[in-house]
Amino acid sequence: MAQFLTEAGEQIVVAERSLAVLARKGDDESAFDACFRAFHTLKGSTGLFDLVPMERVLHAAEDLLGGGRRAGTTGLANVGALLETIDLVAGWLDALRQTGRLPDDADRVGAVESRRLKTLAGNSDDGGPGGATLDDTLRIAPEFDGRGGVSIRYVPAPDSYFMGDDPVALMASLPGLQALKVAVREPFGPLEDYDPYACNLVLDALSSAGRAEVEAALRLTADQVEIREIARVAAPERTEGDATARRTLRVDAERVDRLADLADELVIVKNTMAELAGLVEDLPGGQTPGQTLRARQAELERLVNDLHAAVGKVRLLPLGGVFARFPRLVREIARSLGKTVTLEIEGGDIEVDKTIVDGIFEPLLHLLRNAVDHGVESPARRRQAGKPEIAVLRLTASIAGDQVVITVEDDGAGIDPARIRELAVARGLTTREAAEAMDDQAAIAMIFIPGFSSADGVSAVSGRGVGMDVVQDSARQLGGKVSVTSRKGHGSSMRMMLPVTRILTQVMSVICGGERFGLALDNVVETVRIRPDQIIPVRSGKAFRLRDQVIPVVELAGLLGAADTTAAAGVIVIAWVQTELVGFSVDRIADRMTAAVRPMNGLLAGAPGVLGTCLSSDGSVLMVLDLPELVL
Amino acid sequence: MTIAFADGIIRLEGPCRVEEAETLTLLLQSNGEAAVDVSACNQMHSAVVQVLLAFQPDVIGTPADAFMRDHLLPALADRRRREQAGALGRRAYGMEE
Repeated sequence: MAQFLTEAGEQIVVAERSLAVLARKGDDESAFDACFRAFHTLKGSTGLFDLVPMERVLHAAEDLLGGGRRAGTTGLANVGALLETIDLVAGWLDALRQTGRLPDDADRVGAVESRRLKTLAGNSDDGGPGGATLDDTLRIAPEFDGRGGVSIRYVPAPDSYFMGDDPVALMASLPGLQALKVAVREPFGPLEDYDPYACNLVLDALSSAGRAEVEAALRLTADQVEIREIARVAAPERTEGDATARRTLRVDAERVDRLADLADELVIVKNTMAELAGLVEDLPGGQTPGQTLRARQAELERLVNDLHAAVGKVRLLPLGGVFARFPRLVREIARSLGKTVTLEIEGGDIEVDKTIVDGIFEPLLHLLRNAVDHGVESPARRRQAGKPEIAVLRLTASIAGDQVVITVEDDGAGIDPARIRELAVARGLTTREAAEAMDDQAAIAMIFIPGFSSADGVSAVSGRGVGMDVVQDSARQLGGKVSVTSRKGHGSSMRMMLPVTRILTQVMSVICGGERFGLALDNVVETVRIRPDQIIPVRSGKAFRLRDQVIPVVELAGLLGAADTTAAAGVIVIAWVQTELVGFSVDRIADRMTAAVRPMNGLLAGAPGVLGTCLSSDGSVLMVLDLPELVL
Repeated sequence: MTIAFADGIIRLEGPCRVEEAETLTLLLQSNGEAAVDVSACNQMHSAVVQVLLAFQPDVIGTPADAFMRDHLLPALADRRRREQAGALGRRAYGMEE
């Protein structure tokens, strides 16, 4: 079941993506084929389980698409209808995932949906009498897919046997009979009460004879028969697809994680080899073995680094999977707010580390929800502003160096810096003078400050209190950052910069208050050794002069609640805290190393000021500190 | 007599007409495990076909009649296979134990 759900989810993605293409270009053949195949595969896999309503809806959708193929184009109305079908099916899949079964009203909803699709396909008009019975059954037996000829569906009346009809015999006499399918019209009740004389059959047949000939043979029961000519549908190109299918492997994510962890640890062990080689070289007579060891170490280093990179690649997943969940959610959010929004997605093929893919859904949903709720104006206001009523949201991903940039843009009202200043002051987040001194972009960036929420009212969609700071936190946890740009009246753009792979962080380990801590080197600007008398007291704090700048100094041990022993010591680590340089005084610097910093989990997950842990070269666990968070 | 029951096997012979459906129904209702041998059957009324669909007995033997051999029985077997595949699938995916 789990695998079915995963695969069905993938098909939903494909269908949505190709429908999006068809919405723009109704005659795009490859999109059409992809879409058709997705619906077909979905329908096929529902057959493995008892998901009759889903199978029925998908079948009707497939028919509608098939009509589009004959017409050479898929109309926009049909694309819309099919998207709704996809939404419905995706909702059912969610229900299956959670409860293991379809919602109770699936039967009824499914019947309504398939009738709607059939009406669009024009099927209800093409002379199927006994409409009610035919309506709820499948049109063409799936077994006949990909075959051409005249398709016959014969639903004999329940009293056929009394009337002396023998439907099966009639099928046997059909000219050019190619295939036959015998099914029951409705499920049999308890078999003790089985009525052998009530006809309950649905017969599907495929004939290679001409339509006229078939009609002639069935003229006596013409009122119970539906005849359609079906074009030979090219079987989906199997060969290529199958070959790639066999070359990919579904592996439990945990195993890959384990592999990645092992590769990380190998990197650490490798780091100790260099040290060891140095020790051996220093021994009397150790020159030669030491050098040999160093050469081997270099080789090992290269291999381990390659291994690490290769394992990292295994963990790369396309963003498309996550992105594909948004169109439906955005439509739902927009619908609940009475707005119409189209979501354009780009860059779904960009591959990033699994942790990023896993962790990015929530913050992105938050950004999109904010954009629909606060960014996009009401249709009336958009009209006034001379904008098209349908707002456009763009979700794009692109690669910039070793980072992936994910942007959520809207063409809504934009953020008003004046209002942000006002609100920030009103909520005591900054002083009026400071707010006035800020340029507009800096003012807008205040939306990321915890406690800031720019919506005046509490709306059901975005809620309150869960502001943009949550997005920033998530981004930071993933090793990235968020920024915002906005033009009043023209929309806003939120940019998330995230690492592409689980990167090895350069970590500096420092001794402070008798304990070892790690600091992420990318925050650190430089380290300086100063004499105690260079520290100038400034009000209650301390500062020192570095070249032409006065830099505030905080004692790391004090921040961490350890004994303050740094007064006499003189190593200051200067690091960026947002836009300011801050000096952190420590006892001494132990060493530098490359390590994979793992976020804290379990009870410590929320520990403030801690970025994560890593293994130091002696195998002990090192806490890596988040300097900005410690000071703010 | 075109329906005979012996040793747990219901044997259909010659043309099976509509009234045979009732006999077959009664036999299958009281002998749920019985298999149905169709090798000597050369024609089967829809009502009889429907009984086979409803009770799903094991159908054994190959009839000489081309329509029955090539179309009707495969269509019945096909349904059985699909249902079995469904059950297998449900089991494989953990929906049933």
